[in-house]
Amino acid sequence: MAAIVEYFKNIPLHMDYDGQARAEKLSRIIISLFGIVGLFWGYIIQEFSQTIYILGAGFVMAAIITVPAWPMYQRKPLEWQKPQSEVSAKTKKKK
Amino acid sequence: MHTFLTRGNAILAYTLSVSACLTFCCFLSTVFNNYKTEASIKTVKIFVKNVPDYSASREKNDLGFLTFNVQTDLTSLFNWNVKQLFIYAIAEYETDYNSINQIILWDKIILRGDNAVLDFKNLNTKYYFWDDGNGLRGNKNISLYLSWNVVPNAGLLPSVNAIGRHNFAFPSEYTTFRV
Repeated sequence: MAAIVEYFKNIPLHMDYDGQARAEKLSRIIISLFGIVGLFWGYIIQEFSQTIYILGAGFVMAAIITVPAWPMYQRKPLEWQKPQSEVSAKTKKKK
Repeated sequence: MHTFLTRGNAILAYTLSVSACLTFCCFLSTVFNNYKTEASIKTVKIFVKNVPDYSASREKNDLGFLTFNVQTDLTSLFNWNVKQLFIYAIAEYETDYNSINQIILWDKIILRGDNAVLDFKNLNTKYYFWDDGNGLRGNKNISLYLSWNVVPNAGLLPSVNAIGRHNFAFPSEYTTFRV
């Protein structure tokens, strides 16, 4: 049981900043594209419900592609400085 | 977009905004449509009786009885922004009391996908043709016509009168036998 919990805790859920920007852009492109295609298709066959279903498919696709933190959104992690072992006396005084 | 849930929330909200835009486009594509068309309606039998109206004053009022034929093709009214048509027949006439009387005698819902080519013979009225007095007997100019509401997915709810009316007269004597 503990192993399962540990497994789920270790699933990465966080994207780096660049990944977040790309995920947002990609989700908007996917949903807009499906919406436009759905509008034209619905107009051609004169069924507005089909437009909404196609938009729903776009939502599902965008959710699969951009909601989980796939590895492609974790390629540019921030370069943090190494933790410093000693804090100088000067900065301590200032605080 | 920094956590799993905010990303889910963001794309759901964006999807809903897009669907609102698409619905508006659907409305714009049909807003200038003309929903008028020809419809023929003709009376077959016409009686008028003088009976007490127990639903109102219990005084004797004129009650008209009609059977009529309806013939029209409403297929052209349907498009991707029409869910159903609500069609109804109106009798319009003038009496000494009122310069205009309008009574709905019959109605029908036609869903999208139903057969919209109507050809009904000898229909009875669905609702009573009560006058609020004695204005029906011998009335020479009663105008009967079809009218419809176009129920859309989004947008306006047009109420349209059909092209074509049928004028008829009520007999000048009351009918006493049962009809």
